[in-house]
Amino acid sequence: MVLISGYDGGTGASPLSSIKHAGAPWELGLAETQQTLVLNHLRGQVRLQTDGQIKTGRDVVVAALLGAEEYGFATTALVVLGCVMMRKCHSNTCPVGVATQDPCLRKLFAGSPDHLVNFFTFIASEVREIMAELGFRTIDEMIGRSDCLEMNQAITFWKAQGLDFSRILYRPPGDSPVRCVTKQDHELDCAMDLELIPKVKAAMETSKPVSLEHSIRNVNRTVGTMIAGQVAKKYGHKGLPEDTITMRFTGSAGQSFGAWCARGMTLILEGESNDFLGKGLSGGKIIVKPFAGATYASESNIIAGNVLLYGATCGEVYLNGAVGERFAIRNSGATAVVEGIGDHGCEYMTGGRVVVLGHTGVNFGAGMSGGLAYIYDEHRIFDARCNLDMVDLELVVSEADQAELRGLLEKHVRYTGSLKAKRILENWEDQLPYFIKVFPMEYRRVMGQMMREDEATERAEVIHG
Amino acid sequence: MGKVTGFMEFERHDPGYRPVVERIRDYRAVEIRLTESEVKEQAARCMDCGTPFCHGCGCPIENVIPEFNEHVYQGRWKEALDILLSKDNFPEFTGRICPAPCEGACVLGINKDPVTIRQIELSIIEKGYELGYMKPSLPAVRRKEHVAVLGSGPAGLAIADTLNHAGYGVVVYDADEKPGGILRYGIPEFKLEKWVVDRRIHLMQAEGVVFENRVRVGDDISYHYLQHRFDAICLAGGAREARDIKVPGRDLKGIHFALDFLVQQNKRLGGERVEPGTEILASGRNVLVIGGGDTGSDCVGTSIRQGAKSVTQIEILPKPPPNRSASTPWPMWPLKLRVSSSHLEGCTRRWSLATKEFLGKADAVQGVRAIEVEWVTPTGGGRPILVEKSGTEFVLEADLVLLAMGFTGPERNKIVEGLAIKTEPNGVIWRDQRNMTNIPGIFVAGDMTQGASLVVRAMRDGRQAAAGIAAYLEAKHGSRT
Repeated sequence: MVLISGYDGGTGASPLSSIKHAGAPWELGLAETQQTLVLNHLRGQVRLQTDGQIKTGRDVVVAALLGAEEYGFATTALVVLGCVMMRKCHSNTCPVGVATQDPCLRKLFAGSPDHLVNFFTFIASEVREIMAELGFRTIDEMIGRSDCLEMNQAITFWKAQGLDFSRILYRPPGDSPVRCVTKQDHELDCAMDLELIPKVKAAMETSKPVSLEHSIRNVNRTVGTMIAGQVAKKYGHKGLPEDTITMRFTGSAGQSFGAWCARGMTLILEGESNDFLGKGLSGGKIIVKPFAGATYASESNIIAGNVLLYGATCGEVYLNGAVGERFAIRNSGATAVVEGIGDHGCEYMTGGRVVVLGHTGVNFGAGMSGGLAYIYDEHRIFDARCNLDMVDLELVVSEADQAELRGLLEKHVRYTGSLKAKRILENWEDQLPYFIKVFPMEYRRVMGQMMREDEATERAEVIHG
Repeated sequence: MGKVTGFMEFERHDPGYRPVVERIRDYRAVEIRLTESEVKEQAARCMDCGTPFCHGCGCPIENVIPEFNEHVYQGRWKEALDILLSKDNFPEFTGRICPAPCEGACVLGINKDPVTIRQIELSIIEKGYELGYMKPSLPAVRRKEHVAVLGSGPAGLAIADTLNHAGYGVVVYDADEKPGGILRYGIPEFKLEKWVVDRRIHLMQAEGVVFENRVRVGDDISYHYLQHRFDAICLAGGAREARDIKVPGRDLKGIHFALDFLVQQNKRLGGERVEPGTEILASGRNVLVIGGGDTGSDCVGTSIRQGAKSVTQIEILPKPPPNRSASTPWPMWPLKLRVSSSHLEGCTRRWSLATKEFLGKADAVQGVRAIEVEWVTPTGGGRPILVEKSGTEFVLEADLVLLAMGFTGPERNKIVEGLAIKTEPNGVIWRDQRNMTNIPGIFVAGDMTQGASLVVRAMRDGRQAAAGIAAYLEAKHGSRT
């Protein structure tokens, strides 16, 4: 599915400058996408969706005629449920209970599913009316029929006189499909996991550890995910005991290596990996190290792609090398050690631990509200690369933090043989001041509250006990 | 914004009125003001909505409310004042007597009590006077064009103030003894003390606005004189033509229009002469006010202060619900039962009553024959129709009847008649988008063209007319001074 998201929309949490002044109209993007896909005989294989202040049946019809078969409604649907466009979705103070977790405010929510049903019935009937006018019986017939659109002749403003819509309304000739007509073949029957599952079946049933080796290529995507699914089906989130299923791979892994990897699974990759490694990690352990005998310094080698650990909830990842952008974004509980990352690291992270033993890109920790990150800041430039809106930077002083960091580095050395981590551990006292602890303010507030509550409980116990 | 969670922590606090027993013995302002700490707390309740309905939907003059609320919460009075004055010429008037459509549109009002915007506004402007920020500010450049404003009510003052600050010379003519129009003569002292009006008039005079009072255009000066002396003229005479009731016994003595009664009391308090023999006094009388609106309520309060024996107010429409009616959902101005300070001072209010006849003896009114009515929506929709309930007639005793049933339009005006200025079918004066009448160079603003309405709407219209006049003069003379 391809989504063309127009500039008119924007979440209520985004700044006004982005809502008003970023992006382009969906009509332009949609027309171009449709034409390009049709001309390249690809349109039949994908669905095309558009959104961005779609509010009426007329919007839906225009989108369909320009080539979209799916239409996203957000603002209007929310307004139907009581949203008053407060643009406070990020402050947890939505006064009509739409976008808040506060129980007192949620009580004020006055919407009902019936309102939505009503709204979309109106939309559908308006679409139906326009379809009748145009002589269409089904939406399918309408898709891509840009010949049914024309410029509004009533627009007399002088600037509009010079507008040429012919390229937007162009309809590629030929009989190549103009809407999605084939189901996508994800080639799941070729997945490597189908080959691996029989080998680990016994371990899954008896919890008796198993270890296997396999070569891997970049066409092997989401390796381990089907196994994780089976583990989850049988044992739920609890999974298996640590290291029950150990799988060693050699080669270059395809996208989403170890996605949703469950507890009890250990994936060891010798080589490198594509994007999305450990996506949605759910308790498993992923270890990536360079090929044996590599001559380069591991910390300056990019060992995995972008957006690793996206939305991970728990588990461990040790990467003996640097990785791309958006590392550990939306991580809510996984632990990761890596030797360098690109821009936007730990964005929107809400929990877990991240250790970076080297370079970070810009905008680190944007929107980070929980968890901790330890950065080995050799060159003393991290403060300039970190987004300080929501996080504080401090040195690693408390004994608990030091022990945690040390423990993670020791594991990193043990699992990956990282030379850099080893060097740091050898000169621990000297190297410790180079570490910076990234502490989200919100997290600190909650932790402080919890500690106070614990103390209060202890005092109460002393008094009553 | 001031305080993100302010609306969850603080409740709305209305300071209320002085005790009834105390306030009915004088004409001083009845409303109590918020203290400085209270007003900051109330300002903290503002949520700084992404879509501020108070500013964009409620307030006719589009006051930038969330912004000044934040400054008030932070204690930055000067900044708050600058923002307030950028939209509101006279916050000391609207802060006292505006019914606050902004509060009706406040997002907090959807499920809680709205922010006390009017009180905050009042605190800002009074703080501004107190701290000496309200000094005469003269325009940087004086233009050569002059504008005459006929009428010194809220619309006329808003035009004069706006044009004066834009550099035009302004002369305000008014037939009354002192400037202020309805602000001075219509609204009772207990709602708007007249020193507040004087203070503003003095400030405007210091800024260069000239007030010419006791001048009736057409009698004392001619239109031709104005036309020669001024580059533009703006009519702002209000809509004081009261709606009458045509029932038997209307000629009896003791039946007066509400405004005559209110104006007289204001003149009396202002030290002006009231023609002997024309006094309308409620003291010792059973007063019946016909009409349930604000003017009627002002009659109630004034009658009580004059020492009326009893005060009854009747209204032809049904009693509104205690809370916002479903027919006026947020952010509309809520239809609901409104209780003014005067109503709390001891009066009987009755609804769904129509007047059939005035009864009297020896030329003087003694009572009113009234009948209960129902409002029935015709089958097939449309506006509800009044239906009298037969057999419900009864007599209300009254020896002073005040008619407060609204206003039909502008009073007879020699300029309008002499120049045959185009009027609308309902009697108000026609205007184009720039507030110009069909006579080039003659503009109109306020109730005279929109029909009787709120002070704040008159001010909005005045600002709009001022912009229209400035555009007209620039087109005519060029923008150079």
